[in-house]
Formats: sequence, structure tokens, C-alpha cells
Amino acid sequence: MTTEEEISIRPDLAENLRRTWADLARPGAKWTGAQRLAIAAEARRARDRALPGSNLPGPATEASRLLAVNPAAARRSWVETLVAAGLDHKSYVELLGVVGRLVAVDTFYEALGLPPRPLPAPVAGEPSGEISAQARPGRGWVPMVGGTSITQALSLIPSENAELERFHGPMYLTFGEMSDPTIAKGLTRPQMEVVASRTSALNECFY
Amino acid sequence: MLSHVGMLSWSSEINQIPVNVRAITDSSLDPLIPGGDALLRFVDAVLARSTVDIGAAVAVVMAELGQAGLVDAAAVIGNFQMMNRVADGTGMPVGAGSRRRHADLIDQLGLDRFDHTDDA
Repeated sequence: MTTEEEISIRPDLAENLRRTWADLARPGAKWTGAQRLAIAAEARRARDRALPGSNLPGPATEASRLLAVNPAAARRSWVETLVAAGLDHKSYVELLGVVGRLVAVDTFYEALGLPPRPLPAPVAGEPSGEISAQARPGRGWVPMVGGTSITQALSLIPSENAELERFHGPMYLTFGEMSDPTIAKGLTRPQMEVVASRTSALNECFY
Repeated sequence: MLSHVGMLSWSSEINQIPVNVRAITDSSLDPLIPGGDALLRFVDAVLARSTVDIGAAVAVVMAELGQAGLVDAAAVIGNFQMMNRVADGTGMPVGAGSRRRHADLIDQLGLDRFDHTDDA
């Protein structure tokens, strides 16, 4: 297996991975640091086809596992069932952000033949209770700020949406850079889009 | 997927690089852009989580696009593992304008089969 030292990772990308990992361990809006890491661990177990093994509430375990391995199976009715079972929209949105970043980082490491990054120790503290007062129901399945938009998908919890945006730039392009068809990093823009499109096709993501 | 197939088509046109977008959903086709076939095989191996296939695909990407290209490809795959989950987990709809603009791509690639935002 390759080691991280053998691969030259751009400094901004390496810092993004480090910061994202540290963020997973901190208390969020609805979940403690320990609970966020339990969500991440449950997502990992699901990807490794291992049985559930956390003390999370049942709906959170179910959501963590399905979003980790088969997000295309998510439906509005499924989200509504989770909410009715006690996983409110705020908890769901934060959980979705955690699972998304966990799978993203684990996939990056796997792609380069690197061992998985060990989950960090949880940071003590209570959830902030943060929620956007401007978020409203729309065409999507969770309330968002300013209408239904992928750049606002997690905006019910502003810190989660900000974290998504911070993560997105070093991994691919910032939201602003996306309007530049000639931008190039290690790949040209068309090469980036070949990778993005095929990944989305295999995940059966229409959007 | 529709958004990025659209961006692939748009960026290739602006950069005057020929592309066959049908290669995104048809593995028997060459996407035509430089390194495109190697990148598609790499994505396939990574999403399948096949250690053997990843090793082979990495070698080809390294040979064709270098280490910076390999690392960026891995990062883009990771990013869209996240964004696909966010889009599908929030029921992100494709707007009517986008559907109209990309009607030819939806038709060519048969993308409607992936649309489940209204519990279709």
C-alpha cells in the first residue's frame, strides 16, 4: 500500500483534508462531536458491508447507512418517514453533510491506494442549536435559504453549508471558479468534467 | 450528472477539444479528450472499490497525466461522491430551463432514468 508521504498532494488540498477531518470531530448544530463521529463510523461500516454498530437512534443509523452506500435510493417519502420517526430536518441535514464528507475523503484515499484516515477523537461540547431563520420549504425535501439550489442544499444549518463550500473548492473548483471553462489545475476543465460526470453516472445521480 | 455533462460539453466546445459525451454512459466508447479514457477507467475502478483495478488504472493515469493529474482526479471523484449524496439526499430538482437547454443530452444519454426527485 502507498503512503501519504509518497504522493505529492497540493498544500491547499492537504490542508482541506486536515481541516475537514478536524471539523467532523467538533460539536455541530444538532449532534455532539462523538455523535458526528458515530455517524461517520456508521457510514464506513455500511460501505464495508459490516453490520450496524453505533448507539445512534435508529433513524440516524438508517440514514447514515443508506446515504453512504446507495444515495440514489433516497426518496421524499423516505425522508418524511425519518422525520416522523424523530430525525428532524436539522439533524438530517447535518448528518447528510457528515456522511458526504466522510465518503468523499475515504474515496480520495482509496483512489490513491492509501489506507483510510483514522477517525479523530471527539471534541467535547454541546451542539450549538444553530438554524437558519431564513430557510423555507421549497421543491427540495428539506428547507433551504433563497430557494432550492445545490449551492444552498445544506443552508438550513449555515455552518454545514459553509463547510460544504469550503470543502468543494480544493477538491474540484470553488463555486466562483465553476463559471470558468478554461480553468486548469492538475487536470483541464474538460478532464475534470469527464471525472465528475462518470462519478455521477455510476452513482445514478440525475442532478 | 446532467449539470456536469453539460459543463463537459460546454468546456470542450470553448477549449475546442472534441468530445463524445455518450462515452460517459457507454463504456464501449472513447470520450476523445486527452486522457479521457484513462480517467473513465480510473473512476470505474474507484467506485467499484477494486484494489487490483485501482492499481492498474492509477498506473495508466500516472503515465498519461502525471501525478498532479492523478491526485486531482482522485479529489474530483471524492468531491462528487459528496455532491451526489447531497443532491440525492435533498431531492435536488433539475429546473425546467436546464432541462430545456440540455434536452439533447438527456435524450442521447437516456438520463431520465435517473430522475427520482418526485418519487417517480
